[in-house]
Amino acid sequence: MPFFEVPHQADVKVHVEADTCGHLFSETARAMFCLMYCRCEEGGVERRVSVTSTDRHSLMIDFLSELLFIAEVERLVFSSFDVTVTDTALEAVARGERFDPAKHRGGMEIKGVSYSGLRIFRDGNLFCCEILFDV
Amino acid sequence: MLAGIQQIDEVEWEVPVGYVPGMRVPGRFFLSDDLAETLEPDAVHQLANVACLPGIERYSLAMPDIHSGYGFPIGGVAAFDAESGVISPGGVGYDINCGVRLIATPLRADDITQPRALIEELFRTVPTGVGAESSLRLSHHDLAAMMTEGVRWAVEAGYGVENDISHCEESGRLDAADTAPVSKKAFQRGMPQAGTLGSGNHFLEIQEVDAVFDPETAEAFGLSPGQICFMVHCGSRGLGHQVCTDHLRVLESAHKRYGISIPDRQLACAPLSSPEGEAYFGAMAAAANYAWVNRQVITHQVRQVLQRMFGIAYEEMPLVYDVAHNVAKMEEHSSERGRRRFCVHRKGATRAFGPGLPEVPAAYRSVGQPVIIPGSMGSHSYVLHGTATAMERTFGSTCHGAGRVMSRTKAKKATPGSEVRKHLLEQGIVVRATSDAAIAEEAPEAYKESDKVVDVVRRAGLSLPVVRLRPLGVIKG
Repeated sequence: MPFFEVPHQADVKVHVEADTCGHLFSETARAMFCLMYCRCEEGGVERRVSVTSTDRHSLMIDFLSELLFIAEVERLVFSSFDVTVTDTALEAVARGERFDPAKHRGGMEIKGVSYSGLRIFRDGNLFCCEILFDV
Repeated sequence: MLAGIQQIDEVEWEVPVGYVPGMRVPGRFFLSDDLAETLEPDAVHQLANVACLPGIERYSLAMPDIHSGYGFPIGGVAAFDAESGVISPGGVGYDINCGVRLIATPLRADDITQPRALIEELFRTVPTGVGAESSLRLSHHDLAAMMTEGVRWAVEAGYGVENDISHCEESGRLDAADTAPVSKKAFQRGMPQAGTLGSGNHFLEIQEVDAVFDPETAEAFGLSPGQICFMVHCGSRGLGHQVCTDHLRVLESAHKRYGISIPDRQLACAPLSSPEGEAYFGAMAAAANYAWVNRQVITHQVRQVLQRMFGIAYEEMPLVYDVAHNVAKMEEHSSERGRRRFCVHRKGATRAFGPGLPEVPAAYRSVGQPVIIPGSMGSHSYVLHGTATAMERTFGSTCHGAGRVMSRTKAKKATPGSEVRKHLLEQGIVVRATSDAAIAEEAPEAYKESDKVVDVVRRAGLSLPVVRLRPLGVIKG
């Protein structure tokens, strides 16, 4: 499923589309890691993530923030995600590889995931998300 | 200029109450006619949104480097009454106390005979880019002490000299720091990153003083024509980012509990006197102290390289000054109700305190606080000094940099990093980065011209130019 960058002067905003709500979460996470590390591949690493939040927007912020934390502290780069999601809870399996400076160092650090302009919405059969990353 | 905005004088504009629903005070921003086309409607909307927060004093302000961010605009300044006001992570940002410092040296431009070798040695010494790890091995206790003591911790650990402390804004330490509300996650992220540059717009730059506008003040700052200086721009790394993320979540529910209506969820806030507000303030101050230590350790690394390569004594490389860009601090300012305490949020803005104030280091008190305005890779940086006018009009604040005018995506498409590097080399500027993409994103064309931004704050009297610095070599994260 596609994602593309929406023009934003200071930071990076992306538009993500998916055929299910679960895929929307996984594709938004994939977009975030593509921005950070350019090349993300599966390399035998797997982590489980559980998040509960007050609503779907907060769930997206909390899910991505948790992935940022795990990636930085465990020095991992994720590339694919299996996500099961309700309005207020999420279970995910993130797959990827160990951070390799030679391969991943040239990317863009994401400092945080912003609520500003965050939109999760339906467009016909598609589930869509617009989200801003502070870089 | 955008519809609905009123011109106050040649460089000051007002966003009237009513521009967005719920504004308590007007917005004010500083911009010249020739920078007017760079103004984004989103940034003005964010400026107006800030004016809706409780306890805001006089105006929601923005400096001439204004551009759209999240929550507050970049270049935003707002003072909230200590008793009735709020504190908001959106007015500080994820990179708490991202800031810039200038280190002077006895070197002249002629001494840098091998700029590429110097840049390579600095690049090897200062951990740079995504995933870079600190050379420090810190315990949990070390990290807590670092967050509590700020730059003094670094100096006592051997990463600086006593004078470095007084030459930092707030002497490199916010005394409100409290590590109790700093999460275990933030500790985990902070441990391996102390003394690392980071990425994005963070940099380490070799510069030459190429113009002096105010010789007397330049002398007070220890700066002279032809002198080589080093500028460091970075922040609190993952520790600060995690503090912001953690407390935004808390304040998201807190603002509802306190009956505060906000126009943007990224403006989540709490009364300064509430437990949630106090917890964020303490954690934010702890992260700010970490950021000062981060820049101090990098300063130490730079000095070590210069010692090795040029045989300069450590003491011959004084810190001119260190300013914070993304921070909220308790300060006393004049108001219609007399002198009062305010929590001044500066997000992508610089403190610019004028002469005679006790917050300004003794050595600079007669001329005002040094203000350091970095350019972009190919453009000039400036040192200015704070003014009494800034104290009256902007709670002692001025701009923080050039401000972007082009998205990173567009910049990458416009010119490949290799060409940007080649073009800069033709101008005598050596650039070293972890990737060509990082260079392309930060191309000089992606920013407003620093000369024009500085000219606005000069005309407004918010800070006055002292020296101009020309880049000779840049390390980008």
